[in-house]
Amino acid sequence: MRQMDRVRQQAWGHEVEPNPPAIAIANLHFSYPDCTDAIQNINLTVQPGERLGIVGANGCGKTTFFLLLCGVLTPTLGEVRILGNPVQPGSFQTQVGLVFQNPDDQLFSTSVWEDVAFAPQHMGLAAEDVEQRVVTALALTNIQNLALRPPHHLSGGQKKRVAIAGVLAMNPEILLLDEPTAQLDPHSRRQLIRLLDALPQTQLIATHDLDLALDLCDRILLFSEGRIICDGETYTVLGNAELLEQYSLESPLSYSRPYCQLDHAPQKP
Amino acid sequence: MHVPDGILPAPLSLAGYGLTGLTAWFCLRVINRSSDPTQGIPKAALLTAAFFSASLIHIPIPPASVHFVLNGLLGVVLGYYAFLAIMVGLFLQAVMFGHGGLTTLGINALIMGIPALIAYFAFHLRDRRPKTSNHRLITGLLAFLAGAIGIGLAMVLFYGLILFNLPSDLNAEAERAALATLALAHLPLIGIEGVFTAIVVLFLERVKPELLRNPWFKAVP
Amino acid sequence: MTLGLESYVKRDSWLHGWEPKCKLIGLMSLIFAFAFVQDLWLLVPMILVTIALYKLSKLPLSFLLQRLRYPSFFLLGIVVLLPFFSGKTIIWQWGWLAIYREGCEAVLLIAGRFCAVVTITLILTGTTPFLTLLQTLRSLGLSPILTDMTLLTYRYLHDIAVNFATMRTAMRLRGGDRRDQPWFHWQLLPQFAILTGTLLIRSYEQSERVYQAMRLRGYGLPKQGASPEPAHGRGSLIALGVSLVVAASFVLAGHGG
Repeated sequence: MRQMDRVRQQAWGHEVEPNPPAIAIANLHFSYPDCTDAIQNINLTVQPGERLGIVGANGCGKTTFFLLLCGVLTPTLGEVRILGNPVQPGSFQTQVGLVFQNPDDQLFSTSVWEDVAFAPQHMGLAAEDVEQRVVTALALTNIQNLALRPPHHLSGGQKKRVAIAGVLAMNPEILLLDEPTAQLDPHSRRQLIRLLDALPQTQLIATHDLDLALDLCDRILLFSEGRIICDGETYTVLGNAELLEQYSLESPLSYSRPYCQLDHAPQKP
Repeated sequence: MHVPDGILPAPLSLAGYGLTGLTAWFCLRVINRSSDPTQGIPKAALLTAAFFSASLIHIPIPPASVHFVLNGLLGVVLGYYAFLAIMVGLFLQAVMFGHGGLTTLGINALIMGIPALIAYFAFHLRDRRPKTSNHRLITGLLAFLAGAIGIGLAMVLFYGLILFNLPSDLNAEAERAALATLALAHLPLIGIEGVFTAIVVLFLERVKPELLRNPWFKAVP
Repeated sequence: MTLGLESYVKRDSWLHGWEPKCKLIGLMSLIFAFAFVQDLWLLVPMILVTIALYKLSKLPLSFLLQRLRYPSFFLLGIVVLLPFFSGKTIIWQWGWLAIYREGCEAVLLIAGRFCAVVTITLILTGTTPFLTLLQTLRSLGLSPILTDMTLLTYRYLHDIAVNFATMRTAMRLRGGDRRDQPWFHWQLLPQFAILTGTLLIRSYEQSERVYQAMRLRGYGLPKQGASPEPAHGRGSLIALGVSLVVAASFVLAGHGG
């Protein structure tokens, strides 16, 4: 048994399968109180270290899916396991970190430092450990110079990095990112892609930015009306223009408009 | 409608703090009885910020312009949190803008907060009746009443406190007459805020009725 | 909306370094003691103490003047008639218009108390970071519900105000909220009402997401292993003692006089 598995078994008091998948979902269903079926019959396994892109039209259930993985919502049916352990809805899970689409929704402290320290403080860590976590998270996201700034004074890209830092301070093993490049300018977007590429955590990235998925993800899930329509290698799924069009998506720009084919493209030196 | 520092005698300011403390304790007791007291905190806080912004709207009534008070609407939407929201708002106003004051925070909280709570109870009288075809009319009327009570009662308390505590040689009758004159002069404002509250509440009822549903209403102490 | 609360909290004065709990108790005692002043002769020592503290704080005078301006107008509106209606001893008269000594004294007292109290308040808030102030209030027993509400309101005030301003601009660009309409056009009120309603709904929906984000990072669970309170320095305690003595002196002098 790997050392991490032994540690988990000691922490959670029951036997955990050796080398559990990062995420294991069986027969997951979820309906809203008005009986709208938001998630239908999802079965999924994600291995540690994998990077999954989740694509689909607006309203297909990506955000709801993430909220189920975190335990914010309670499934109507089925089970979600994170690292071998069933998710307890409502509990504080430090193994999974969710980065919201709008960073303003998760930057709720009066300074960046306070915001990043929020989760470690609520984990019951000693002051020195909290400080260490904050310093590390700020360094990973390269925002040390923003530590004392109030969140509402930051640009969109800076807010996004602070939001990620706040989640990284929990030392999660799994990152869920909901539309991470929404409202980012090209430079901030590129910086974010480099940051995510450098992080070792298992990542599930819900995105409309298919070029980001091409850059970062090993595997793509195509969602529609709460179901997984397709689960496959990135190049296979995103290379299938017909499939994408059928579900109100378009091919990544990198595929659909090869740069060299544009008449007005400047010639490379 | 904030009493600034320096006007009221200190014992009255202290009594204000005492009564505010008691009222806040009472509201917190009800809130802490709900299944998840922390759930209401972000809602109350962001709505407080929203009311703060909205109260900066001014209606031009020459020669001046008037800001909405909105404590009646605050009571309708926030229920028992309304008193706490008013305390928070007053604290931030005193600290950020010097509007009102720290010594008079207790008094000001009572002036605005008690009418807000009364407005809340008045509006939710509608829950004691079964829903009928004129539910919308009842909602509008009770919202108007809540808005009018909120500002009307606050005005009476404010001017009453000022008039009866400023050193003057006016006799009691003259002070009462002055208070009545001021109240009458503000009747149009009371009417405007009542109408405003009614329109907002009917809008919320149509678009987001859960904002008006109060989970703490049933937690009778 | 600029908050401007923390423009000078990083300065290096003795008051900035005063331990927050001692500072809060000491300055609030002074504030309430000044509210007890009823005699004119106490105005002078009150103002002197206030000036001395302000000088100690090294806060700029422009900061004080800027903060006094708006509330001063408000106060003036309340007390401006006092010299004409309050008192028995006439010091000046022109026909039926008379100015009374007691009314003037009342205005002086009110204005003096007001300036002193507002200045001490400014010293407290201008030398203490807002978060520290709230943490100190919590350590003194203020309900965590109130402190959390205050923090979140403060945090989102700017964003929501900006949102609101944007919505008003959008409405104006489509013909609403027009300045060229008569002073009370019948459409103004419903337009403001809809704006307000929309703002409330947006804030409410955002608050649900904020709450989810807070829960996902442990909010609502008891914080274990809270940091122990730092020991109070001797200087801070001495200063607290001095403040309490000064405050008590003002209260006793006011009662004895």
